[in-house]
Amino acid sequence: SVRFCEKKDNVVTSTQLNEGESQTKQPEQKEEQHVLKADDGGTVSDQANDKPEQILAKSPQPEAETVKSGKESLLDLLGAMKVEVTNKRKLKNMKIKQSFESATQYNSKPEGMESTISMFQKATEEASSQSETLNSDLVAAASAAAATLPNRSQAESELLRQLRQRKALSEAQKRGDMKNIGVIIADMKVGKNSNRQNAWPSDQIRFDDDGRGYTHDRGITSELAGVRKWRNVFQAKRLSIFSPATEKDGVKPALAKPTLWDMDFAHQLCQSTNQMPRNGFEEMIQWTKEGKVWQYPIDNEIGLEEEASVPFHEHIFLNKHLEQGFPRQGPVRHFMELVVAGLARNPYLTVQQKKEHIDWFRDYFHQKEDVLNEADVYLT
Amino acid sequence: MAASGRHVGHYIHRNGRFLRVNLDHLWANRSFGWTSALQQQAPEVNKDSSESIVIPRKKTWSKTAVLEALASTVKRDPTAHPYQFQDDPYLAPRTSAEFRLFSLSQESGRSAAKFFVNNNPKFFTKDFAEPHIPCLMPESVTLRLEEVSEEALKERISLRKVTAAVDMYDQLLQAGMAVSMETSHDLLDLVCLYCDKDPEQEEGPQGETGEEAKGRRGRMRRDFPKTLWKENNNAERIFNLLPERDTRCYSALIRGMVKHGAPAKAFSLYTDLLNNRLTGDVHLFNALILAAPELREKYTEKWDLISELLNQMSQQKVQPDLLTFNSVLKALRRCGYVAKTKALPTLSEMKAMGISPSLATYDHILAAFFKSASSGTSNIDILLEVLSELEGRSFTCQDPDDVLFFSSAMRVCLDGKDLELGYKVQTLVEVGDNWRLLGDSFQQSIYYGRFFHLLCMMENIDVVLEWYRKIIPSLYYPNPQGMRDLLQALDTDSRLDMLPTIWKDIKSLGHDNKSELVEELLALMAREKHSPEVQESFAECALNVKSVCDGRPGTEWSASSLSYITTLLLRANKTQEAWEVLLVFKAKNRIPSEELLNSFLSACHTTRDSRIAVELVQLSSAFCLPITSALASRALAEFNLTEEQRAVLSELEVAVESSD
Repeated sequence: SVRFCEKKDNVVTSTQLNEGESQTKQPEQKEEQHVLKADDGGTVSDQANDKPEQILAKSPQPEAETVKSGKESLLDLLGAMKVEVTNKRKLKNMKIKQSFESATQYNSKPEGMESTISMFQKATEEASSQSETLNSDLVAAASAAAATLPNRSQAESELLRQLRQRKALSEAQKRGDMKNIGVIIADMKVGKNSNRQNAWPSDQIRFDDDGRGYTHDRGITSELAGVRKWRNVFQAKRLSIFSPATEKDGVKPALAKPTLWDMDFAHQLCQSTNQMPRNGFEEMIQWTKEGKVWQYPIDNEIGLEEEASVPFHEHIFLNKHLEQGFPRQGPVRHFMELVVAGLARNPYLTVQQKKEHIDWFRDYFHQKEDVLNEADVYLT
Repeated sequence: MAASGRHVGHYIHRNGRFLRVNLDHLWANRSFGWTSALQQQAPEVNKDSSESIVIPRKKTWSKTAVLEALASTVKRDPTAHPYQFQDDPYLAPRTSAEFRLFSLSQESGRSAAKFFVNNNPKFFTKDFAEPHIPCLMPESVTLRLEEVSEEALKERISLRKVTAAVDMYDQLLQAGMAVSMETSHDLLDLVCLYCDKDPEQEEGPQGETGEEAKGRRGRMRRDFPKTLWKENNNAERIFNLLPERDTRCYSALIRGMVKHGAPAKAFSLYTDLLNNRLTGDVHLFNALILAAPELREKYTEKWDLISELLNQMSQQKVQPDLLTFNSVLKALRRCGYVAKTKALPTLSEMKAMGISPSLATYDHILAAFFKSASSGTSNIDILLEVLSELEGRSFTCQDPDDVLFFSSAMRVCLDGKDLELGYKVQTLVEVGDNWRLLGDSFQQSIYYGRFFHLLCMMENIDVVLEWYRKIIPSLYYPNPQGMRDLLQALDTDSRLDMLPTIWKDIKSLGHDNKSELVEELLALMAREKHSPEVQESFAECALNVKSVCDGRPGTEWSASSLSYITTLLLRANKTQEAWEVLLVFKAKNRIPSEELLNSFLSACHTTRDSRIAVELVQLSSAFCLPITSALASRALAEFNLTEEQRAVLSELEVAVESSD
């Protein structure tokens, strides 16, 4: 409870807008604390009956869990009301809303605090039997809280209703009357509190004088919150504008050559990332991509891609190219057979080059046909 | 083959018991080697009977696979220089400025060589390489075709000579020759992309200055157009001259207008396109979405325009791509509070379309939820979820904005002071080739700067120092603020004995000229007393600080740093050196504090050095300090003085008293 007090003071001092209001509230709160202190002394020291009846009736919760749930549900309720406020007011009034928040927050605390304090003090105390009637302190606090909201009467009635429910719940738990709880729980708005619960501490903490905003520590509860949010993020409602391209109408002409824009985009991508090699191997990868080094695994046919589809016999059996344009026998034929034999063993020329080589001789001998015929060596 | 091999293996296994011991090992290896082949064929194996022989598909390895495997065995050595600087250890950079200088000059050297080769192809005709290596030979950068023809136009377009191409196009039209649609598309693309100006020669030496300018200014606002779209420029003129205009022409023009800062014109052209009963293409819409926020004032109206565009896309049966959604999210960053409500539905839409988000997508979403703790979901939560989805994946760059993700994610961690999350981000960076997506050296230093700051703030000092050795200076050259964070971290965990080592690093990082940092270091050292050994090392460090700073011209000594040095020297009983520092006080017209003089006198007392004590009192009187008389009387009382010294001191004692 001490920690809560500190937090509250923080909030109060940091929201300057709310100053006047909080100043009026502060003495009241202190008074109450004072009363409680006195009361505490009374119970501990002599168990005398001189304590005010009011206070005795005020805190009927004997169990920690019950108290806590009561407080939480109150917080939830206030959180829910905050949503209403935001809805009503425009978003530009954020600051005003903020002050409202802190005001309600502030007002809500005394109840919570009182009940926590009294929880320790009056654990053994018997609870008052009347469950349906709320004590006047709570009603007053609730109406004070409601007064800060624009829609006063509605807020007040909601607050009171919630308080009654809380009371009923604690009564029921105490009695062990569990079947009632289901009904009560079903009546309560639990749906809203998931966000609220999480936002609460971070809202408070944002007023830290630390400046950068300090996170609440990530315990198991926030792990669970993470799971819940995960659903929120990745299962958010989609815009429902497009229909998925199940039919293949979206198939683009993949063969279209890249436009200048595409090249520019690729260049941008390349520029924006860090392409520096980190070690020699990465540099060699870069060189391989640029075509500066031999590719692994080493292949001695690299650079002979156009020859890959040519079978070996095209290289070796070149005699068929002598069928036309050359004499069937005689010295020219003999010479050409030698040429073909040489070409067949040459690994450095392509088939096309070999053919061109033979064609050159064909043309040459055709041009010299007259001379050869004179010498009687060109036999057709 | 695999199956039969397995049978053989079984056979050996069963019968050759004497071989078993020797073969077991081999067998394990072999069966391991088969697994990939078996997995590929697993469905067929199940269908057929187990007798059939399954021939595994031939596996073609990429040409870099071997090198990649080898490269993956090399781990980063934090003590080594970055690889790109290994050739020149003498010049290896130690500060970020040197790093910039070195890498820029390396790059410009390469560009200059390329420029020379390309512009003087006649000297580089010999082709030694077999097979031929195109990238080592000069590229043609000058125009060859001079006559007026479409071929010449194509050549100008491929060489990206904008003005020459436009001239050639005009000449062609004047000669009455028709230009094919494809060529006019290319021409429009060229003119629009470069906004009717010749691009800066990337190979030319002036390209470097452009690069540098980009480094200085353009990094923060890289979308900022360098040139502005002008009314009725050549692109619009050519567009109007075209006999028929199809979507691609419109697309080129609209993209050019958006790129060069004329969004309103782009939208009017889009209306024109609709009036001509044409449909847009995806690039056109991407550009328009990006430009949409500029046209409207209110946040909601901006979003309305974007969603209208998306609806039109869907009506025109244009399938969106990754860039469409990234543009939507990027545009949403400028839509204020609307972004919070619309970013996540956009992401869902994207996933529903089967498009996997890139890092830029998440970056935009983080930006949308920036500082939004009041509305429930903070960007820390978002980041947590994003990271849980991305965990262990490696990415390739699909959007130029991808490189912004890591640094902004780290900023979220830093703002939230969430160390756990920071480590998660760092783990993601270390996966695969993700480090490449940290971006250029500038982005990278931002990222590591944030990470290091976070570590210094939140982490135990031992871990901080571990990281310090790991990333500094091989990945990150910290700025003075970073070093100050480290000093604070050392202070918090009271490991001040590390300070002399840190001083050495400060020196090598070139921060020894930052007087504030040096003063903070000295203050930390002088603040408390430590054990004698530590004091000894501190004194040496202080002397080193003094000599380094004295060696630099124009050093301004402040009184406080001088007194820190003196205090440190006194604590290590180096009275003589301390005395020299006191003389510096005088030389620099700084006034030592009374406290310092008192402690100096005590130090003299412990070393029984009466001479210095007397000189100290004289020095004090030279400064006309009120403490002089007190010092003099202390000296008179505590030291064994000669008559002469005694006379001097009593004179000083009296002189000051009388002046009072």
